[in-house]
Amino acid sequence: MEDLKQIGLISLGIFVAFFVVMTMVAYTVLAERRVLGFIQGRLGPNRVGPGGFLQPLADLIKFIFKEDIVPDKSTRFVYFLAPLIATVAAIMTIVVYPFGPEVQIPFINKSVQLVIARFDVGLLYVLGVTSVGVYGIALAGWSSNNKYSLMGGLRSSAQMISYELALGLALIGVILQSGTLDLYSIVEQQAGHLGITGWNLIWAQPLGFFIYLTAAIAETNRVPFDLPEAETELVAGFHTEYSAMKFALFFLAEYVNMFTVSMLATTLFLGGWAGPFVHQVPWLGVFYFFGKVILFLFFYIWLRGTLPRFRFDQLMSFGWKYLVPFAIFNIVLTATLQWSGALDYVAAFLKTSTGWWG
Amino acid sequence: MTGILFILFAGLAIGCATSMVVQRNPLYSAISLIGVFISLACLYVMLAAPFIAAVQVIVYAGAIMVLVVFVIMLLNVEEEERRPLRLRFLIPVAVILAAIFFAETAFIIYFVQASPVTLSRNVSDVGLTSSIGGGLFTTYLLPFEITSILLLMAIVGAMTLARSGGLLSSRAAVVPGDQVFSKELLDRREPGDLSAVTTHTTKEAAQLLGVDKGTK
Repeated sequence: MEDLKQIGLISLGIFVAFFVVMTMVAYTVLAERRVLGFIQGRLGPNRVGPGGFLQPLADLIKFIFKEDIVPDKSTRFVYFLAPLIATVAAIMTIVVYPFGPEVQIPFINKSVQLVIARFDVGLLYVLGVTSVGVYGIALAGWSSNNKYSLMGGLRSSAQMISYELALGLALIGVILQSGTLDLYSIVEQQAGHLGITGWNLIWAQPLGFFIYLTAAIAETNRVPFDLPEAETELVAGFHTEYSAMKFALFFLAEYVNMFTVSMLATTLFLGGWAGPFVHQVPWLGVFYFFGKVILFLFFYIWLRGTLPRFRFDQLMSFGWKYLVPFAIFNIVLTATLQWSGALDYVAAFLKTSTGWWG
Repeated sequence: MTGILFILFAGLAIGCATSMVVQRNPLYSAISLIGVFISLACLYVMLAAPFIAAVQVIVYAGAIMVLVVFVIMLLNVEEEERRPLRLRFLIPVAVILAAIFFAETAFIIYFVQASPVTLSRNVSDVGLTSSIGGGLFTTYLLPFEITSILLLMAIVGAMTLARSGGLLSSRAAVVPGDQVFSKELLDRREPGDLSAVTTHTTKEAAQLLGVDKGTK
């Protein structure tokens, strides 16, 4: 009975998180089109509903009712499997992110932590699931039996393998700092004064944050690293042959990936749900969390509107010759500071001399 | 609950493993192998070893198999043809070995259930991150370091084999006209060989030195 209750609670949590994230992803797409419109001096979609508010719904209906074309000489099974892998791997990471602190649920009067599955190796779980997501793109490129698709698939697997390394190394700094792989504890450690001063970004991992952000943008195949779908060279890259709902699944996977990457950045570097007055009103934490995530999403859109695309050799040399060495340097630096106790000393100094630091 | 999950993932692992051997298309075999790795990771989670499970997915499913799939895609390997079976005597040997294996399993299951000793504790700390890290950097430090040196040697070896062209850097320019090189300079697999190699044109020299990218 207790087992069933637990399963029911977790299922409810998954449902709510899924619903919230999907809605926000749908509106990210709309926001991207509108913000890009403003950046480029035009309006963007604004006809469906007030200010274009119902546009995602219209897009969804269009995707469902479009004809689903399967290339004649494609490898059928893999062709169907690829979008599924991409979407499932993107969505699966949602369960480990802490959306908020311990809160009182109204009506049932129970105090729960706003995280669906809290376990020992949350960060490694995220990395593992993300690394499986590569197959979606690689297999899509291969199974379409199209040269452009194959080139896109190959490029993306090469790119994602290369940048995964820098991404993982950048995260090691945070792990060294906090001494745990559990995302909830990592957030708790970043509380600080007013929930702001303890953020890893500000005074511990600025270099790690920059490396993570760059590698994460490359990992999600977004501008300026969107080589796998470079329109000018490869038509549409790995999803050239995909149409209707299968294309929509790839589209969805890309935006969910953006979203989860932003959530991870928020959790690890921006203090997650930490912010002013969270201790007094725990529900505020949820708003802080999503506010920070939206900030990252806006940053993504901003980059897309303003930066040109890399060339492939530039992409590779940037990843291997700059990001990876800098990430290793960051690890050594963090380890040295941690070992010598310099960070603790600074914290103690600021606390005693100014009485300001949390 | 745990029993159902175990049967699910164990069945999945065995099914994928069988499919990996049976498939003739190398890419399908690779996908099946990924399935095996992921179901094994799920089994590790159930054995209270989350760290090993995560590493299993990251390293095997996420890195090594990506490279395998990458190579299959790059070489465009076709489906293997069904050949007449050679080495027919292996079939009865396999049957006998399978029979022995099943007998062994049955024996173990029977005697473990019959034995009076019960497990003292259900939860172990073997698979936890801290215990693995502690073990790697204290008790097993030397084997750990030796493994990393082994990996380094593999990388260096691959580099040496791949770049056996010449000793010149890729930025070296080619001087026009007749030129004489020593063989040692052109092929680093023959150190100490100073016999002369003469070239008459710039293009020939560039080809010998391996710096003629884009001049074809």
